[in-house]
Amino acid sequence: MKIKVKFFASMRQLFQTREREVDLPEGACFRHLLDLLCDSAERREGLFDKETKLNPNLVFLRNGQPIQSFGGLEARLEEGDVVAIFPLLGGG
Amino acid sequence: MDKSSQLPGGYHGRILEVDLSKGRIKSLPLNPEDLALYLGGRGLGIRLFYDRVDPACDPFDPENALVIATSPLIGTNAPTAGRGHMVFKSPLTGGLGSSNCGGTWAPAFKATGYDVLIIQGKASEPVFLDITEEKVEIKSATDLWGLDVHQTTEILTSQDSPPHSRVLCIGPAGERRIRFASVMSDRNRAYGRGGAGAVWGSKNLKAIRVAGRAKIHIHDKDQYQSGAEQAYYLLKQAPATKRLLKELGTLGLIELINLIEMLPHRNFQDNTHRDEDVEKISGEFLAKQFLIRAGGCYLCPIACQRHTRVNQKRGEGPEYETTVMLGPVCDIYDLEAITLANYACNELGLDTISFGGTLACAMELFERGILTEKDTEGFDLRFGQAQVLISLVYRTAFRQGIGDLLAEGSFRFASAFSHPEFSMTIKKQEIPGYEPRASYTQALGYMTSPTGACHLKGGYAVSLAFFGGPKEIPRFSLLQSPLAIRNMHNLGIIQDTLGICRFTGFAFSTDPWARMVSGVTGLDFSTVELERLANRVATLERLFNLEAGFGPEDDTLPKRFSLEPIIVAGEERVISQDLIRQLRSDYYRARGWDEAGRPPLRLLESLGLRKR
Repeated sequence: MKIKVKFFASMRQLFQTREREVDLPEGACFRHLLDLLCDSAERREGLFDKETKLNPNLVFLRNGQPIQSFGGLEARLEEGDVVAIFPLLGGG
Repeated sequence: MDKSSQLPGGYHGRILEVDLSKGRIKSLPLNPEDLALYLGGRGLGIRLFYDRVDPACDPFDPENALVIATSPLIGTNAPTAGRGHMVFKSPLTGGLGSSNCGGTWAPAFKATGYDVLIIQGKASEPVFLDITEEKVEIKSATDLWGLDVHQTTEILTSQDSPPHSRVLCIGPAGERRIRFASVMSDRNRAYGRGGAGAVWGSKNLKAIRVAGRAKIHIHDKDQYQSGAEQAYYLLKQAPATKRLLKELGTLGLIELINLIEMLPHRNFQDNTHRDEDVEKISGEFLAKQFLIRAGGCYLCPIACQRHTRVNQKRGEGPEYETTVMLGPVCDIYDLEAITLANYACNELGLDTISFGGTLACAMELFERGILTEKDTEGFDLRFGQAQVLISLVYRTAFRQGIGDLLAEGSFRFASAFSHPEFSMTIKKQEIPGYEPRASYTQALGYMTSPTGACHLKGGYAVSLAFFGGPKEIPRFSLLQSPLAIRNMHNLGIIQDTLGICRFTGFAFSTDPWARMVSGVTGLDFSTVELERLANRVATLERLFNLEAGFGPEDDTLPKRFSLEPIIVAGEERVISQDLIRQLRSDYYRARGWDEAGRPPLRLLESLGLRKR
């Protein structure tokens, strides 16, 4: 299944792109997506906290909703999902 | 008993009181009990204001006061501790005016040997206040009247002024009592919301210049230092405060807000934008096209200020709120036009949020045919007309033509055309750049903000729903929203009372602050005490508003938000009238107020809060 990943702000530097489409097997979860994206130690350190948890300084959205509300790393993905990765920022 | 022996650390113990009608200047002692209960900034400000001003007074009556209060942390090296707080009765809302500002003015004022400045009365001709440690003078500002903020600041900090002078002043907008005129500090920092600048104008007060070297005493240096060192360390750990806000400014947020469908559009008629349009007004685009450098307020390592250049013109901004209100809310995605309009608002002394909201309202009335070119002096006010922005900023600040009515804010503007329902305001103050239908917490935060719709007083609800990680509050949670918003309002009160920046909250919570302020003062300001203080301040602010005539019917949203759905996460969303009533009533209960939003006597007693 095809998943679109959008990167924002500092994530664009880390992944050297604004947007990427990845192909995942049916039934894949959010952890599989991140494993696929993190093809270097730097990228892995960027997205994870101590290798096992999502970096709390990032916002991970699946179709505009926080990934935590779908079960975090274990969230099941579906064909056509749009995932966005955004660093925490303040607005004023 | 000798009062000075009771004075906690961190204070000079003096209020400077100026009566402009009588030309009288007095130094009064601060009451130690007020300090223990209200600390400084927003808390001490409302206490002193409430004790002096009849809530029913006309905001332009000489009786209205301006209370500018600092905190005991100002004068230390605590990170971001340089923010002043101004309390007044707002000419925009008719209720509490309470506005906070960074820059360097507040520390410079405190270095003159005073903690608080209170101004009442009305001068017979334009004046400015000149404050040093040696003397305080009311001087003629006849030559300054009519000048813009930058010119005024330039003249008052020129060669023959005291070294390290800092200036707070109004521009032509404040002089003409534009109801959302700002007071500007360091040229481009603003006491932006609620129309403080108009109150200055009504008092013929053009500027306040301060310069001094007075130091404060820190009660327990070790305790203070342990908090301050931890705070600086943590600010260097969190990516937002370490580098992201410096790189992208607050505008770095706009693409996320669009993604979560909270970015308002066309006077809050919908929340849909083309991604490529939003990219053209993003923090990255600004950094690439116009940014010269980032800058920081006093003792701020975060440095979110945008020092920018458009063609040959230099200035500051735009921030997130300014961009959204002058941009998508008016269907404009031209960052050059937005930035230039922002420069003009800074120079003329106008709040960009209320100006943008008022213009958007006028645009909707125009497209609906309620307002015609006859009313607008030929201006084409359809949505998306970037070329009208700057002209209308000037016309508003100088009250020329249609600007004379825009200067009254969107509620009075739309009411003049018999359609107040197109004013997107709460308590007559324009709603800033987050769509309330996309989050219960955001809607409730705006509704119950004591100053009317405000992203600072109302609570920065986006962070609850999206930045909370495991502590996240779902954005449509009826159960959790009221408590979450009360807690967020309280955090804001604590930050405004300490004179520190909201953005430190991205790195750490109140614990380091509790150690710093307890160490400086020698008083018990544990996190529990700070929370109690916040409850006390919120309730005192409520008392003022109730006495000014506000009730539950004012803690609501414009009808649009309950009648016209927008799509959020694939579902149609409104904030229905039933929902409004329930959220409001749960918030009152969380505060310990009754169904009508009135604090019962036993609550006042338990908070140690005395009425007048």
